Amino acid sequence: MKMLLVTNWGWSEILWVALISICLVFIVLVLLVFIMKFFGYIFTQPQTTASAATVAPVVTGQLHEEEIAAIVTALTLFKDEMHDRESEVLTIQSIKRAYSPWNSKIHGLTQIPDKK
Amino acid sequence: MASSNFVGESIQKFVESTGVIGFFGAMGWANVVMIGVAFFLLYLAIHHKFEPLLLFTIAFGMLLTNLPGANLYHTELFAGGHVHWDIFVAQAGLLDYLYLGVKLGIYPCLIFVGVGAMTDFGPLIANPKSFLLGAAAQIGIFVTFLGAFALGFTPEQAGSIGIIGGADGPTAIYLTSKLSPELLGPIAVAAYSYMALVPVIQPPIMKLLTTKKERAIKMKTLRPVSKLERILFPIVIAVIISLLLPSAAPLIGCLMLGNLMKECGVVDRLSKTVQNELMNIVVIFLGLTVGATATAEAFLNGRTLGILILGVMAFCIGTASGVLLAKVMNLFVKDDHKINPLIGAAGVSAVPMAARVAQTVGQKENPSNFLLMHAMGPNVAGVVGSAVAAGILLSFLG
Repeated sequence: MKMLLVTNWGWSEILWVALISICLVFIVLVLLVFIMKFFGYIFTQPQTTASAATVAPVVTGQLHEEEIAAIVTALTLFKDEMHDRESEVLTIQSIKRAYSPWNSKIHGLTQIPDKK
Repeated sequence: MASSNFVGESIQKFVESTGVIGFFGAMGWANVVMIGVAFFLLYLAIHHKFEPLLLFTIAFGMLLTNLPGANLYHTELFAGGHVHWDIFVAQAGLLDYLYLGVKLGIYPCLIFVGVGAMTDFGPLIANPKSFLLGAAAQIGIFVTFLGAFALGFTPEQAGSIGIIGGADGPTAIYLTSKLSPELLGPIAVAAYSYMALVPVIQPPIMKLLTTKKERAIKMKTLRPVSKLERILFPIVIAVIISLLLPSAAPLIGCLMLGNLMKECGVVDRLSKTVQNELMNIVVIFLGLTVGATATAEAFLNGRTLGILILGVMAFCIGTASGVLLAKVMNLFVKDDHKINPLIGAAGVSAVPMAARVAQTVGQKENPSNFLLMHAMGPNVAGVVGSAVAAGILLSFLG
């Protein structure tokens, strides 16, 4: 589709083409903004009504999702900080003898099988 | 004696048939320069990773077409803007056959199918105002169109040069192949080089036009978008734009076809194919053949320099327009709905590089600010906007 049949392009024609073109780009995209806004309105409306119907009415100001998330995070952190108080007494006793199965070469993993 | 003559003539014939002799011909020096340019582009693609998928293949096509005697591509077969079918089969080389995909507008549209399948339009659906930022960034195209005309280019050539500002490779190639195929090589090289340079070109302009406070603006979280909306979006856009601007239908139609494949969820195999195999194959053909059009005669002239300068101008004006419109929009919205002007710069397409740049510049001011998803809205709107602009230019000048 050819809109113009201009053979001798001068500055006035070029300026008009540039101006009309940029206006057309804006018109088409503004039209799309309105269409998408309309779509958004249609698709978000049922969600709003449904949520309004199911959620129990809050008397004093509804909490925002982000506020709820912040409260939940704070509570979790607070609970994680709480520990049982322990005796703080070490239960590992020192042994005087030098030998222990833990440092024994005989009981090491590389022990060669005893063939009898 | 006769046999020694025969041997001598044979050797002479063989030497004359080699491409090496071509370097000593009339345009031999020009071929050497073009091979040097091809090597430089290969270096940029391989070493610096500048849009390597396309710049690499473009550079190699450029190398092949400038090797004397290789006869892979013939400009005379496409002289005057149309295919000379009468001599085509007799003379055509490999790249001539592959170039038909560009000439007939097939490759850019196939690439758009893949781009559509890889694009998430969710941020744009959630915030339709992004379309305005995508539109504003197209101002660069039309200002450059005027600038190119002032420099003595024909209106068709000026339109093709202006579209570099759309920062959308397939759109630039599609429009140029229709309006001024003789400029395809320089325009494609300029478009892809500048797209790779978006992180260098855009930040200074973004910082110059915004205050520290504006760059730190945190935007409201985007609403979730339902699957039905995602499915309806490509259908509605394809129908509306194709009805309003039939000349933009091939690009927009293919873009939305790919996106619908992704969003509907029932043709996963097709979606994966267009995102990977088809896209990769077409990129090879497109890059090679676009590079092949960059012959010494077409590339080594004052026009190429003009195209490179005008191209960067288009990018800069597009970026500035997007940022400025975002600032203007902020005058009319409430404080909690303010737009970070940095996302306006993403309206120049160059998906997703321009959106990443907005995110990076925004985070420098406020490390807890995440602008990426907000910037993706204008970014994909820019793809639609540049395709619309190309359709309009094609309607007026085609």
